[in-house]
Amino acid sequence: MKVKPVNHAKAAEAFIEDTAHMDFHDERLWDLRQKRDEQMHLLPEWQDLRARASAIKEHTLANLPEYLEQFETNAKKNGIHVHWAADGAEHNRIVGEILEKHGAKSLIKSKSMVTEECCMREYLEPRGVVVTETDLGERIQQLDNQMPSHIVVPAVHKLIPDVAKIFAEHYHTDPNDNSAQSLAWQQRLAARPVILSADAGMTGGNFVVAETGSFVVCTNEGNADLSATVPGLHIATIGIERLVPRMADMGVFIRMLSRSALGSPITQYTTHFRGPQKGSEMHVVLVDNGRSHRLGMEDFWTSLKCIRCGACMNTCPVYRRSGGLSYGAVYSGPIGAIIDPTFNERKYSTLPFASTMNGSCTNVCPVKINIHEQLYKWRRVLAEHHELPFVKREVMHMAGKIMGQPTLYRAAINSTEAALSTMPRFVLYNWLNPWGKHRELPHPVKQTFHSWYKQNRLKTKKKEGEGA
Amino acid sequence: MRLASLPGVRMKIGLFIPCYIDAFYPNAGIATLELLEKLGQDVDYPMNQTCCGQPMANSGCNKDAAAAEALFVKNFAKYDVIVMPSGSCTHHVRDNFDAIEQTDEVRHVRENTFELVEFLHDVLKVEDFPWAEFPHKVGLHNSCGTLRALRTASMSELGEPFFSKPMDLLNKVRGISFATPKRPDECCGFGGTFSVTEEAVSAKMGADKVRDHHQAGAEYIVSADTSCMMHQQGCAERAGVPIRFIHIAEILNGARE
Amino acid sequence: MSPSRDAILSRLRDNRPDPKPYPLPPVARLGDMDNGQARFENSLQILGGQVLERQEGDTLATAIARRFPDSKIICSAVPDFEGTIRIEELGTPQQAASVDVLVVRAPFGIAEMGSIYLSEAQLSDLNSAAHLTQHIVVILSAKNLTANMHTAYMDRPEFHTAKYGVLMSGPSATADIQGVLIRGAQGVRTLSVWWED
Repeated sequence: MKVKPVNHAKAAEAFIEDTAHMDFHDERLWDLRQKRDEQMHLLPEWQDLRARASAIKEHTLANLPEYLEQFETNAKKNGIHVHWAADGAEHNRIVGEILEKHGAKSLIKSKSMVTEECCMREYLEPRGVVVTETDLGERIQQLDNQMPSHIVVPAVHKLIPDVAKIFAEHYHTDPNDNSAQSLAWQQRLAARPVILSADAGMTGGNFVVAETGSFVVCTNEGNADLSATVPGLHIATIGIERLVPRMADMGVFIRMLSRSALGSPITQYTTHFRGPQKGSEMHVVLVDNGRSHRLGMEDFWTSLKCIRCGACMNTCPVYRRSGGLSYGAVYSGPIGAIIDPTFNERKYSTLPFASTMNGSCTNVCPVKINIHEQLYKWRRVLAEHHELPFVKREVMHMAGKIMGQPTLYRAAINSTEAALSTMPRFVLYNWLNPWGKHRELPHPVKQTFHSWYKQNRLKTKKKEGEGA
Repeated sequence: MRLASLPGVRMKIGLFIPCYIDAFYPNAGIATLELLEKLGQDVDYPMNQTCCGQPMANSGCNKDAAAAEALFVKNFAKYDVIVMPSGSCTHHVRDNFDAIEQTDEVRHVRENTFELVEFLHDVLKVEDFPWAEFPHKVGLHNSCGTLRALRTASMSELGEPFFSKPMDLLNKVRGISFATPKRPDECCGFGGTFSVTEEAVSAKMGADKVRDHHQAGAEYIVSADTSCMMHQQGCAERAGVPIRFIHIAEILNGARE
Repeated sequence: MSPSRDAILSRLRDNRPDPKPYPLPPVARLGDMDNGQARFENSLQILGGQVLERQEGDTLATAIARRFPDSKIICSAVPDFEGTIRIEELGTPQQAASVDVLVVRAPFGIAEMGSIYLSEAQLSDLNSAAHLTQHIVVILSAKNLTANMHTAYMDRPEFHTAKYGVLMSGPSATADIQGVLIRGAQGVRTLSVWWED
């Protein structure tokens, strides 16, 4: 069976109908955008930082094989086991083997979008490994059996009663608890014994430093540190694009990451792992999963600069009003819409159209990815690859024909002129019908500009010409 | 080369009126023409014009934009400058108009196409509009095309010093005052075909936008882009938000309401 | 060597853009160069950390007793403070979970962020202690403040030597439930700085 494209529009419509959730979601993320702006205004060097971050990332991507080898050499020197995974399946197999070797049956992990890409939980759990997310938002999503809806705040689409209900079901807490404070405390109480008895810990990696063979993990809850330091085995799953050349480059990125994401100066925890702690083993799995292919896409390779701050999502007026789950993909929002089609062009063919291409995402991006221009380019690629719905293709084809021929065009407009008290035919065309669902149609007018001009200017000009 | 940048050159202006202005908002087109004439310009409206190609190109169907683009060049190549009361069409011609071969003629057209506000502000450098008076509180809507592509105003995301070409022009109109919405740079959700393919999100964005202006005390929403206003007006009417809409050309041309 | 390693590297070599137009920019030392105590304290407070109050005649012990009156197990990772248990006496990473207050000395702090740095050198190789303890008290000298993230990464050797190095900027925090900011999520519930000298 052919893969069906994600129906973003339909999911978004359902999201909007739930006013309480939608309004909170929009306000919450807009607030993050405002806080990001406040931080930006505090730093006169903000645009300089963006330019440098972009340049460092572009340089690194253009020299990625060398930097990966440099990282590997240094990491091995530091006592880290380095693995390479071509895709999700290989990643899962590698992790499964490491766990098996250690007889590890329980894995605690901090947030990692790469493990979501790889569907790691789904692989490990049937093999007898209990995987527990330790980030609060991610844990809520895990218990609710949903993907993260945002790359930084995974449960941002939920309200307190939703969380109370989920915790009541799984932690046997009060289903009517309406305090975020007390619910967070319940999570701490529930997580501690799991953390203390875990056989292995897993983290992602926000940055990988080639020069030192280290990787850097940023969290606010400290859950990555708990996952990495309590059990005797630490596995880090990291996308191969996460490199920076030098430790000194980190200043540029750390200064912008949390400011862009949440409007806080820095995440509460910024942790630098350069080797296993005493009595422990450390593994890094470098995951490709389509990235090396994306590096070869002339118009889209710079999407690999992404540092996963989520600023583009927070500012996106469409994302704020449709929710991350409506994208039906691991990565949602503007950055998702330009990355997801590289994983599956048909399935995610609708996402570059789930945008007004307003450009706000590009402006807030700390590494200057031209997101809205890539959305525009993806539309072309998808049209050329016949991934547009048939009706849309036909309408555009027809419109293109009419617009190319003045007489056809005038006939279309003029036939509407005759029937202006009803509606122009091209507006009534089925495909355009949704306009009127939540919106009034434009008002009919007595005369088009074209006809006014003919009457009021052409005739005068002609007379003037005759008089001369 | 941009002829308009040369001082003292007498320019022949080709006026482009986008399809939705032609059909639904002819007053915005008439105001644009009259205003340019009042400012002493020599303006022609080529009768065979249709569309700039943007709807097809923005949908990804770039090949389908070729005929419209070719016709556009055929209609406008003979003018020194092309002026249009639409930011998004200007953005298309200037930045994305590549369905056809890039000949000298095409390049001439692309380099000399101006949105009305930037033409008045940057090229004609109009000092005042003695005929214009608009004693109302207005909310200015910068379309994303004018804001982030044509850069006729500062963008909140960049933290750059404030500037606004449309506001500079409107400030020369007697009696006008401005309402400040909470999210002045937020897209209104029109987005071309987005308005029908993502109807629910589009309409929600539009309703939020008009409420924001209304709550800030605006009697009118004024914009250089009629497409945004066509959408916003539809949303305002459905949501029962009492606010009126007017193209910036109409105010600058001396509309009294 | 895994076959995927070579396949990935070779694909990257084939697909990457020409590196020539993308030179590595020189390392940047930007921003506010104030490394003062006031700036640090202001940043610390923004991130939810606090300065441990020092009253007339206070020692670290009396200040901790006043701030954490109910704490039973006070673990010391420094030679000049006793506590009720020494960090070296905790046998496993898990045992650190019993600690109420951990006292540790940071080699440096960052004024821009109110961050303090800890590595295995300060934690006697028991890194979990910094996260499993309920509260952490960090001894810091104003002489060891660096201005911002650029100066920290460029000037501090620890980033090149430590196997585990954490910048803690206030206590553990979350806003994952309906955007409500909660200080003290999974890790330490409070972080206090004790100024020495």
